[in-house]
Amino acid sequence: MRILKLVAVLASVGVIATSLVGCGNSNSQNSTASMTDSASTGGLTSEKVFNYGTTAYGVAMGNAGLDPHISYMGWSSVRYGVGETLFKFNEAMELEPWLATSYEQVDDTTIIIYLRDDVTFHNGNKMTGQAVKKCFERLLEKHDRAPMDLDVNSIDADGQTVTFTTNKPNPAFVNAICDPYGAIIDVDAGITEDDNVVGTGPYIAEKVSPTEINLKSYDNYWSGKAKVDKVNVKSITDGDTLTMALQSGEIDATQGLPYASLSLFQNHTDYTISSADTSRLYMMAYNYKTEVLQDVNVRKAIASAIDKEGFTKTLLNGNGTPAVGAFPSNFTFGNEKVTAPAYDLEAAKQLLTEAGYTDTNGDGYVDKNGQNLTIRWLTYTSRQELPKLAESAQATLKQIGIDVKVNATDNYKDFLKKGDFDIYASAFVAAPTGDSQYFFMTHLDDNSVGNTGSYHSERIQELMNQLRIEFDTDKRSDLAIQIQQQVLDDNAYTFASHLKMSFVTKKGVTGFTAHPSDYYEITNKLDIN
Amino acid sequence: MYVRRRRCYIVKYVLKRLFMVIPILLGITFLSFALMQTASGDVIDAIYEQAGGVPSEEIVAAKRAELGLDKPFIVQYFIWLGGVLTGNMGNSYVSNRPVFQDFMSHLPATVILTLSSIFITVLFSIPLGILSAVKHNKITDYIIRILTFVGNAMPGFFLSLVLLYLFSVQLKWLPATGNNGFVSIILPTVTLAIAMTAKYTRQVRAAVLDELKKDYVLGARSRGVKERIILYFSVLKSSLLTIVTLLGLSIGSLLGGTAIIESIFMWPGVGKLAVDAITMRDYPVIQMYVIWMAVIFVVINLLTDIIYYYLDPRIRLQKER
Repeated sequence: MRILKLVAVLASVGVIATSLVGCGNSNSQNSTASMTDSASTGGLTSEKVFNYGTTAYGVAMGNAGLDPHISYMGWSSVRYGVGETLFKFNEAMELEPWLATSYEQVDDTTIIIYLRDDVTFHNGNKMTGQAVKKCFERLLEKHDRAPMDLDVNSIDADGQTVTFTTNKPNPAFVNAICDPYGAIIDVDAGITEDDNVVGTGPYIAEKVSPTEINLKSYDNYWSGKAKVDKVNVKSITDGDTLTMALQSGEIDATQGLPYASLSLFQNHTDYTISSADTSRLYMMAYNYKTEVLQDVNVRKAIASAIDKEGFTKTLLNGNGTPAVGAFPSNFTFGNEKVTAPAYDLEAAKQLLTEAGYTDTNGDGYVDKNGQNLTIRWLTYTSRQELPKLAESAQATLKQIGIDVKVNATDNYKDFLKKGDFDIYASAFVAAPTGDSQYFFMTHLDDNSVGNTGSYHSERIQELMNQLRIEFDTDKRSDLAIQIQQQVLDDNAYTFASHLKMSFVTKKGVTGFTAHPSDYYEITNKLDIN
Repeated sequence: MYVRRRRCYIVKYVLKRLFMVIPILLGITFLSFALMQTASGDVIDAIYEQAGGVPSEEIVAAKRAELGLDKPFIVQYFIWLGGVLTGNMGNSYVSNRPVFQDFMSHLPATVILTLSSIFITVLFSIPLGILSAVKHNKITDYIIRILTFVGNAMPGFFLSLVLLYLFSVQLKWLPATGNNGFVSIILPTVTLAIAMTAKYTRQVRAAVLDELKKDYVLGARSRGVKERIILYFSVLKSSLLTIVTLLGLSIGSLLGGTAIIESIFMWPGVGKLAVDAITMRDYPVIQMYVIWMAVIFVVINLLTDIIYYYLDPRIRLQKER
């Protein structure tokens, strides 16, 4: 009986302790981040270890593995410093050489790429034109998107040059091979069963699993051996766990913290936040098949009543930037180059009056021919920002007398097919390879599935035809501005915001910054002090 | 003679029950396959949506054809069934790895977590329950009852966050996420065990109280049998029937994985695998999970029945007659 009592008392103490902790939660908040002894410096040896927790790695993202030729695994390969592409993007999303030194557009369909002479794969083999050729051949054979994007006719290798010929003029070719699927791996070295590869980056993957990648630095990295010896990339899908793992010091940096947790680390001396505007765009398409929306004044009135500032500042806690055009400000053809209707409820009301809508029966909603102006707002929930955008729009549009019926459903494709919507709000990565053409082709082309609102403009079709064959970067940029401006003048789309991506790191972590492309995370510059 | 008849009966019974698994599996896999089809969208949509792009229709159509998703649902089901009958559970649509291997690699984590949490639960709930019953309406009983209320009322996700905050963030004794050897299992085990212990303690208490009121206890007491002997050899044994039923159900559901706990602690079990597969509409993985769940529940029920058979002479004698 005595033993029984002892066990009972012990158990009770345990349960009381945990319930009390639940109550005392808020009192101990101050001491959370006081720890400075870094678990990351690895104890007795001077080996530097960097633990990184991210929500962006995993089977559900299609990127669990490092083989760039399968699905989205290339993203992991490039993000975590195993694979590198021939060219990369700078902060302004312009092309920069990486494994290549330069390229030459010989004619409309021929591109010669000159490779660096000092790059070796992780197995010590030199990266040659032949190796790059083999890698691209495997990419074109295995990957789903690459063959269409690149449209390659033939590849020739000679020493440190590779010559690509395309079937049709492809001005965005070099941009396209910056997509992480273009990461260069040693195909002859083989790909393991767990999708590990032999790349050229600063880190070699020792172990790859769907939840974790363990990396060690590559001694002969062409751009200088990495400062941190080991990196562990951990997939942590739960936002609260991620937050606490950072607070407990178990990880040194995170990506994908929930908006609510981010404020815990803001203005905190023990942590640093690095953010960048990405081209992930939240936008609304107007359905041209809806009769009321065929009136440009109604579309413009709605556009003028979208409070982008309020949406990004309040509802997204500052984790977004109001958009004007389709591309963020760091692009040469970004936000500042175009104009869109400003948030102005009075002007919006005026536009509705001009379109014949007034509140005749005093019910708070404008009407015409006895019919209230009601908008069916279709969106989905898998991007947490979209339902918030719907809420925000519902509130502000009510102020100008428009009744918004929100339909946030993951069956949205059925509604799109049936045309059962007036406005469709969605998220889209507008320029994954820094070029504008991709977004226009998917959203403005008459035959594109992404053109959900059935928008048609002769001028835009003509400008897009020019863009398809224009190789000059400045002229392409100019065309991108003209196309966006036309879309905005027509009020065919309203671009609400761009997503801001943030890394939170422990103090002392350097060389780990958010990039607008969302491709480059772990580099040889990463260090822990 | 008697023993042989008994063994023969059990073998026949087990075979009959195992044979029943076949129609159950057919029915349940067909049903889940059909249900998945009614949900809008498929794995191809899910993959590209995650990445935030819209590939051209040709790419989507080609990918769909490659996975056989363009075929009518009934054809898809029979292709899958054909594969299963020849020992091929198919490849995951998302990771492209063999489903069986993927699933098996997640299973040990789930089994370990099940065993550890059941062990802790039994270790604490039986003594606490008995103590509570013996001290009926005394202060010890009240304290235990209040604690079990609290334990029952706390949702798993909340409890796990509280534990994480205390032991990981504040005290830094335990890691927040899995894969760090033995220490990693402590928090998920405790989270699961607290809720179960609370439930089981109350069940044990009720069962023991019930038994204590019975005539045979009074009889034994009046014959001067020691209270401890009555408690351990008669009362506890009779109360075990209730506990075994409950344990069967708990083990069944634990072996199915605990998606929320697994997500929070990044414990690489089958629960999270299943939830991810459902989100991505990864049919082969979902089907593997459905088969697993059906099999464990059939097996656990069978085991429970066999244990009844040994524990309760009434059942044994009735069946053998």
